[in-house]
Amino acid sequence: MMRGPPSVSRRLLIAVALPLLLFFVLTASAIDYVFREQSTAALRDRLEEQVVALITAVDLDFEGKLVVNLLDPESRLDVPGSGQYAALRDESGRLLWSSPSLAGTDLVLGSKLPVGGVDFHYQIARDGTTVAQLSRGLQWAYGSGLSKKLVFTAADSTAPQMRELLRFRQRMAGWFGALDLVLLATMAWMMRRALAPVRRLEQEIAALESGGASQLGQGYPRELAGVTTGLNALLESERNRIVRYRDTLGNLAHSLKTPLAVIRASLGSAETDARRSEAAIQLEIDRIAQIVEHQLKRAAAGGGATLGQAPVPVLALLSDLRAALMKVHAGKDLHVEIDAPPGLGFLGDSGDILELLGNVVDNACKWCRARVLVSARLDPDRALPRRLSIVVEDDGPGIPQELRARVIERGVRADEQVPGHGLGLAMVHETVGIYGGQFFIDASATLGGARLELRLPGR
Amino acid sequence: MRVLVVEDEAAIREVLKTDLSAAGYSVDLATDGEEGLYAAIEYPIDVAIIDLGLPKLSGFELIRRLRARGKTYGVLILTARDRWQDKVEGLSAGADDYVAKPFHFAEVQARLSALLRRTGGWASPKLACGPVELDTRTQEVSVSGAAVELTSFEYRILEHLMLRAGEVISKSDLTERLYEQDFDRDSNVVEVLIGRLRRKLDPQEHIKPIETLRGRGYRLSLPRRPA
Repeated sequence: MMRGPPSVSRRLLIAVALPLLLFFVLTASAIDYVFREQSTAALRDRLEEQVVALITAVDLDFEGKLVVNLLDPESRLDVPGSGQYAALRDESGRLLWSSPSLAGTDLVLGSKLPVGGVDFHYQIARDGTTVAQLSRGLQWAYGSGLSKKLVFTAADSTAPQMRELLRFRQRMAGWFGALDLVLLATMAWMMRRALAPVRRLEQEIAALESGGASQLGQGYPRELAGVTTGLNALLESERNRIVRYRDTLGNLAHSLKTPLAVIRASLGSAETDARRSEAAIQLEIDRIAQIVEHQLKRAAAGGGATLGQAPVPVLALLSDLRAALMKVHAGKDLHVEIDAPPGLGFLGDSGDILELLGNVVDNACKWCRARVLVSARLDPDRALPRRLSIVVEDDGPGIPQELRARVIERGVRADEQVPGHGLGLAMVHETVGIYGGQFFIDASATLGGARLELRLPGR
Repeated sequence: MRVLVVEDEAAIREVLKTDLSAAGYSVDLATDGEEGLYAAIEYPIDVAIIDLGLPKLSGFELIRRLRARGKTYGVLILTARDRWQDKVEGLSAGADDYVAKPFHFAEVQARLSALLRRTGGWASPKLACGPVELDTRTQEVSVSGAAVELTSFEYRILEHLMLRAGEVISKSDLTERLYEQDFDRDSNVVEVLIGRLRRKLDPQEHIKPIETLRGRGYRLSLPRRPA
């Protein structure tokens, strides 16, 4: 199998799971640390209590002789290796007394310590157990003016504390693990839900490819709607283009038959006047040329595609066109005014808009007396394919009512129209239609001649 | 008038050559852009017909370059695809007019003579200088309203002088416009033709339409006026 880039859901899962894991590890360590701190503090408190208990159990007689009287007969201090120990040293560090439990261990309890000093430390015994011990140095008065400096030490095995810590860690791992699993499962479920439209798009595109569908469905979320409507528009325009090519071929073949038949008849006829048959052939050749030109233009119109195309700047295009037309109509005292805001753009093929405007403005230049006015506006209230309105007016004779209707009428083909009338307007009507726009022919109120309006997609 | 035709399709090139010669033009032919550029710059061309889809150097580029070299004569473009994109690009490159293929020769001729008039500063197809009038469409010449019969060579010389009325035009300039590339420049045929023109236009020697400037050439010295 080909290894492409990881899928979106895998990326998301990794992106979510890694921080989550890190978060849990950090939280667990923090909680563990706090727990250990507290249990150490608790151990120390207990050792403090034992030191106090030891102090209570110890007495010095008037000669300064040590008497230890353990009050609790069941004290673990009497049981060797019980894990609880106690010892008493004098100020020089000499051992005065140690609990019977210390017998048989290699633990060293207590050390030299000044009066008021406190020492807490851990020690590891031969058998591997860890013992925590707390020592406290005191000045003990046992007669008038007599005192002794003593160091009291209590020690306890940390084994129970370690057991508790282990249990706590096990429980914490259990809970956190379970929580982690629940969160990941939730995340996976959410991702499935969030990515459902993407998966749907994938399936619909697969259906398009296999020919099972002709369009992407509706109801995509906002983030994808742009892509799907754009794709649908592209599909639609491609399909239209194919239809147009097929129509063009059909029309071309069909409409060429008649002039060819006339030519054949002219050649084969017993017409004695060679000039007359030559004239007939010439006429048919003109017709063939016109048909070919019309069908080629029709097929070449780009039409409708709105993906991947930058808007065509209308003002710049009109200025170029005006400069070109001023040259072509140089024999005429011509004034072409352009009234269009900069930044106005046509959404579609630049060749198409130039073809449209070239036809319409050139016509106006041909038919006008002296003035042509081209104005372009954007009307955001209208539907998208008709937002851009381009109006071309002239001060010529105008276009007669019956011709207006014929041009606008659906299905009128330019090659069926009066030849040589100079109106490429059927072509304009057709191209505007491809873009879902509108085309109006009217009389100009300001200049008195024709007024042509194109409504096209723009922004 | 000397016209340069740059066209790679042999059939169209030959038809243009035949028809233009018949219409009284002397014709230079070029089959690709580079050859066309050489002719456009080196020969004393009055007007050029340039196809847009040329091998080696496109028509657009050819026009841009000849304009960059300071050539101001009229340029007519031929477009196979009758698309406004090509027309606008060609006209922006420096062409003056266009004709779409397939064309009628009459249309090409009408546009050529319009271009010639425009570059000569004339607005209408009827040229008038003093009492002399010349109609470039019908090739009719009259003096003070009376028609004058001219031969094809005489007409071509008069048309050239009238289009550039007021300018001094050298003898070699005139001979080059009468004939094509290979021509014996020492021949005195121009002097003979000018002499015949003077006699036909001004038998009484009242108006003296054509001045001879020794060592420089000829000049139509009658004032231009709207026809």
